[in-house]
Amino acid sequence: MSEPSPTPSGTTGEPAVERPHTGHGFGRVLVAVYGLLALAATGRSILQITEYFDRAPVPFLLSALAALIYLVATIGLARGDRASVRLATIALTVELVGVLVVGTWSVVRPEAFPEKTVWSHFGAGYGYVPLVLPLVGLWWIRRTARATAASDAEVARSAD
Amino acid sequence: MLQPLTVVLLVASGLLGLLATHHLIRGRLVDDPLIIVGAAIEVALVVQLVVGLSKASAIADGAERATFIAYLFTVLLVIPATIVIAVKEKTQWAMAVVLGGALVVAILVARLQQVWSLNV
Repeated sequence: MSEPSPTPSGTTGEPAVERPHTGHGFGRVLVAVYGLLALAATGRSILQITEYFDRAPVPFLLSALAALIYLVATIGLARGDRASVRLATIALTVELVGVLVVGTWSVVRPEAFPEKTVWSHFGAGYGYVPLVLPLVGLWWIRRTARATAASDAEVARSAD
Repeated sequence: MLQPLTVVLLVASGLLGLLATHHLIRGRLVDDPLIIVGAAIEVALVVQLVVGLSKASAIADGAERATFIAYLFTVLLVIPATIVIAVKEKTQWAMAVVLGGALVVAILVARLQQVWSLNV
């Protein structure tokens, strides 16, 4: 797939080339997938906590935590300003650590996870999307940051 | 549940996926045919919601019934969210989002049918 192509400058006097943004181009796909995961994790945790919390409190609280992190990541990537991207970076890092720790934990001690969470077995129940997604997301944030730095340098050069 | 409706929904989301792939290759953005197919799917999903809610009491297990009802509502959000995101994107990534949305609708519809058939 192609890179975001330069948008024709409109009557509003926007720059001809779009500034790199975590929520544009490929970022829309990321935002959509994160939004979906946020929805799925929120739904699952509400169901688990209201219907049968006593069965396994730890996995259920982890589901709720995952839901919160996915929500923060979705909003952060979609907004794309400096503070939001920083927040999204933190959320994605926590997500990556979470899926690795919980994934390993659930493999080593399966009895601690009688109920599934999005992160148990490295997210196998969700096609390993929870494992791959933070890596893709962090790569995308890094790439966008570099592109922003490059375009800022370009602007500074042309201003001289 | 209502098998003909499930089949219609799977075919319609397949059609939306094909249309998105076509647009992706041709470098087109969201246009009327895409929105019409999306709207048709949404109408079918609302019918599915009504039928599903009216029959949900057939699922004896409370948690499974709650899951079933949650899926009925969740699947309604996918197409509108997909279209909103895709309309804002002016590159071919817009069609990647629509393609993903069509796939998710198909998966959720299949999952609904699965929850239904395992519990009734």
